[in-house]
Amino acid sequence: MDKGLIFDIERFSTKDGPGIRTVVFFKGCNMSCYWCHNPEGIRGVPELRFEPDKCAGCGICFKICPMRAHKIDGERHIIDENRCTLCFACANACTYGSLTQVGKWMSVDEIYIEIEEDRAFYERSGGGVTLSGGEAMKQSDFAAKLLKRCHEGLVHTAMETNLSFPWADYKKLLPHTDLIMGDIKHMDDAAHRKGTGAGNITVLDNVKRLAEAGIPLIIRTPVIPGYNNDVANIRSTAEFLKDIPTLKYYELLSYNPLGNSKGILIKNPYKLPDIQVPEKAGMERLADAAMEYGIEVYIDGRKRTGSR
Amino acid sequence: MNTELEYSFENRLTALRRKKEEQTFEKIKRNGYMDEDDYGSVPAPEGFEFHPVFNDPVNNTFYGAKHWAMNFRNLMEAHPVYVDPNDALAGRWMFILQRLRPFESATSVNNLEMAPIFDFSHLKPTQRKYDLLPGIGKMHHFAPDYKIGLALGWKGLLEKVRKYHSKCTPEQEELYQAEEDVLLGIINWISRTIDKICEMEKAEKDPKVRENLHIMAETNKNILEGPPRTLREACQWIAWYNMAGRTYNRAGAGCQLDETLRPYYEHDRQELGLTDEEAEFIIACLLLVDPHYYQIGGPDRNGRDVTSRMSFIILEAAHKLKCTANLTIRVHEGSDEGLIRRGLEILFEDRKAYPRFSGDKALVEGFCRNNYPAELARERIAVGCNWMSLPGLEYTMNDLIKVNMAKVFEVAYTEYEAGEDASTEGLFELFGKHLKCAVDCLKEGIDFHLKNQYRNAPELMLNLISHGPVEKGLDASNGGLEYYNISIDGAGLATVADSFAALQQRVEDEKLFTWEQCKKAVLDNFQGEEGERIRSILAASKKFGYGSSCGDRWAVRVSRLFTDLVAKERTPDGYLTIPGLFSWANTVPFGKAVGATPNGRLSGKPISHGANPDPGFRKDGALTAMAKAIAMVQPGYGNTAPFQLELNPTIINSDDAIDNVEAVIKAHFDMGGTLVNINIVDAEQILEAHKDPSKYPNLIVRVTGFSAYFAALSPDFRQLVVNRIVSDR
Repeated sequence: MDKGLIFDIERFSTKDGPGIRTVVFFKGCNMSCYWCHNPEGIRGVPELRFEPDKCAGCGICFKICPMRAHKIDGERHIIDENRCTLCFACANACTYGSLTQVGKWMSVDEIYIEIEEDRAFYERSGGGVTLSGGEAMKQSDFAAKLLKRCHEGLVHTAMETNLSFPWADYKKLLPHTDLIMGDIKHMDDAAHRKGTGAGNITVLDNVKRLAEAGIPLIIRTPVIPGYNNDVANIRSTAEFLKDIPTLKYYELLSYNPLGNSKGILIKNPYKLPDIQVPEKAGMERLADAAMEYGIEVYIDGRKRTGSR
Repeated sequence: MNTELEYSFENRLTALRRKKEEQTFEKIKRNGYMDEDDYGSVPAPEGFEFHPVFNDPVNNTFYGAKHWAMNFRNLMEAHPVYVDPNDALAGRWMFILQRLRPFESATSVNNLEMAPIFDFSHLKPTQRKYDLLPGIGKMHHFAPDYKIGLALGWKGLLEKVRKYHSKCTPEQEELYQAEEDVLLGIINWISRTIDKICEMEKAEKDPKVRENLHIMAETNKNILEGPPRTLREACQWIAWYNMAGRTYNRAGAGCQLDETLRPYYEHDRQELGLTDEEAEFIIACLLLVDPHYYQIGGPDRNGRDVTSRMSFIILEAAHKLKCTANLTIRVHEGSDEGLIRRGLEILFEDRKAYPRFSGDKALVEGFCRNNYPAELARERIAVGCNWMSLPGLEYTMNDLIKVNMAKVFEVAYTEYEAGEDASTEGLFELFGKHLKCAVDCLKEGIDFHLKNQYRNAPELMLNLISHGPVEKGLDASNGGLEYYNISIDGAGLATVADSFAALQQRVEDEKLFTWEQCKKAVLDNFQGEEGERIRSILAASKKFGYGSSCGDRWAVRVSRLFTDLVAKERTPDGYLTIPGLFSWANTVPFGKAVGATPNGRLSGKPISHGANPDPGFRKDGALTAMAKAIAMVQPGYGNTAPFQLELNPTIINSDDAIDNVEAVIKAHFDMGGTLVNINIVDAEQILEAHKDPSKYPNLIVRVTGFSAYFAALSPDFRQLVVNRIVSDR
């Protein structure tokens, strides 16, 4: 695999690992979490995104589309999914950023040029590169090459993963991974399967194996009200984590409603989940419960220093 | 009626700050918007009028040392006295004599500062053609050495002038007499203020207030007779000097404030039991008098860090004042990490756009490129809006001379044949030819200025505490100082770079339309449907700031071209010129003079700001992308290309926010950055304030190098600040 499918490269990220980081977003995920905040990362193919509020009505997409997929329905500009072949001629011609291609096949070198831009900032902040997604492990061979390239350039590497891939896949990239940020979305196997489409047995097993391999770990739980925000679940997670020697800390992430505004993708209609962002007090209650197990706990990037 | 609690330092500062806000609104009411520094001036009493004596009755202006001194002395002797019993220091200033000549506003490009008898009409066609700011006749914008004044006091300075005056040649007579008049005017002003303080002291019932007025009177009596001995006396001396300097010609350069005040502070702590709380209060009062530009921290001439307890006290004073302040922390390898940290904490907490940070490494290495030693370069401190100067040694004309590169581009683009052979290379060559003409014209103007300025408008205030003018009997602009390093700034870098990049990407590489179609659309100001189509395509090109883009490469090329034209050849009379990239508040008037440009900018719209990329240069607006881009275009000869950074408060809501912003600043300096100005402003709040500024009387933003009350800015300028902060709307 010489190229990876990447849907974004974000510079100056301060939320995806230590210091200032460049985050490479891999497109394609094996899970289907209903609360996903990066829905454009779910499907493992390039997609067309249409943002009508940016459309200036110039009509170039109508003229350029070989399949005549762009149509007017009453006053609305729509795209006929059955006709669109995802050739992206319209996205390339749209200068208003209304039609965009989400996901591009990029080589390691192409990505690394962007990574290199911020070297001075990694050095000053203790930052580096984070592979995120989607799910970077779905393109593990390519991810391994990119991580290796970063290490050759003395850039610190981290990876965000849902931890659900076979151990053999993780083993390929461990030599070039300095930090893994993995999710435990639920401690109950059935509930995990219900929320994400996959069970958690591999997830928990991978946490133990990564620790045995000496990989520093940050384990996170996206706190989704009505799904996993009960104290019992968080306690159970913390109890599991207290025996993980390479755990740096356990982080609770408030449900991120960002996905709601990004969901206008054709061929992959994203249903807006009816989830409330958790209250601060509720997050603190969960963190305090986890801290009873003697582990360090963060809430949304801030270290919890103790119960009131 | 004042209880002990009511007359606390904190309450006094609150009262002083509120008073200043009221005065600011009164100033706006009377004079309209102020697109420049907030300044510390207060409105004159109703009915007070001052009319200068003109020696050019045709043009209603005055010129020459004699008339400047006469008018200044008259103004000082008539100047209303101002004493606030809450203040540690006496006095406020109300007028700028320089502006009592019927000339121009702060951002005017008419350049009538030189009295009309000094004729440079031979330069005017070229100046107009390229919309140049030649700086001819402009004043101050270099730094004095406060230590001279603090060592001598007012009467000591008078004695010094009289000593040299008694031995002078007939040619020097006018200057020395003028300097004497200036000092006598200031002494008169202070003496009358002392009388007022004594009157108020007598009438005051509250013992605490009376005690403050008593000390205030004693402080002023002492510094009138001899040099200051205490921290309060030193601050009062500086305050008078600053107020007189502003009144004379708006001069605003400060000093290395921590090192200047440290001996007094240490003396008072040991001998008088001065507390840090009182020291902070006194310094807060000094900062309130006027937002002069002060450097704190940084290296001494040998590279050793000068940070002291005084440096921290100055930061805390600004923190308590919560008003406009222009403090710059000089960042170098040996910096006190605690000072930088505390500075950032205050910047984040107060959101008043101070302190700023200057990058020692690039400034020193750059200045050394002009064949100066590093020891001297380290003494060239941040004491101006965007600029550095050697205190009391160097004449610089900083921030006065500018080339509107967008205008130069327009001239070249209009002239360039958009035929089949057209190319960005060809256009760049023509642009280079015109830029050289523009820079050469500025250099001729510099020579003209240096020949004539002492007869037009001598630096009677700055001369007094510089090394040379009084001793040699020569004005600072006329050989009185040791070094003459004249600044020339380029403005509109992003506008020009993005224009080249858009032409290259859309016309040359992608061939979306021809040179001719593009030029027609640009010259028509993108009118009509087709024009708008072309404009939108051009505007969506990869811009300067994106990172390794066509726009970034053009920006580096344009910056290098400009730098070489300025730095590699002296003026015809042999003066060194140093390049910088800075537009100050001229982005609006410069923009008005330039038609549409191929970056998609419409005719008359502002040109790009300083060395910054245009807003919207990246969809994620990556801070690091901007920090790197601006570091890459530094001219590198010791003058600045500032990095103007707008941070949304959400960025500061994490444990390591300060670490990360500090890392951005330091990495920017590692890569060659020279000065970082930071605003932390909430996007919603600034939009609200733009709608109704009076709702946010204490919202302070850093506009360019200076900070100002948002409400005091004109709608054009408010829009400019809003656009930078809310770039995606």
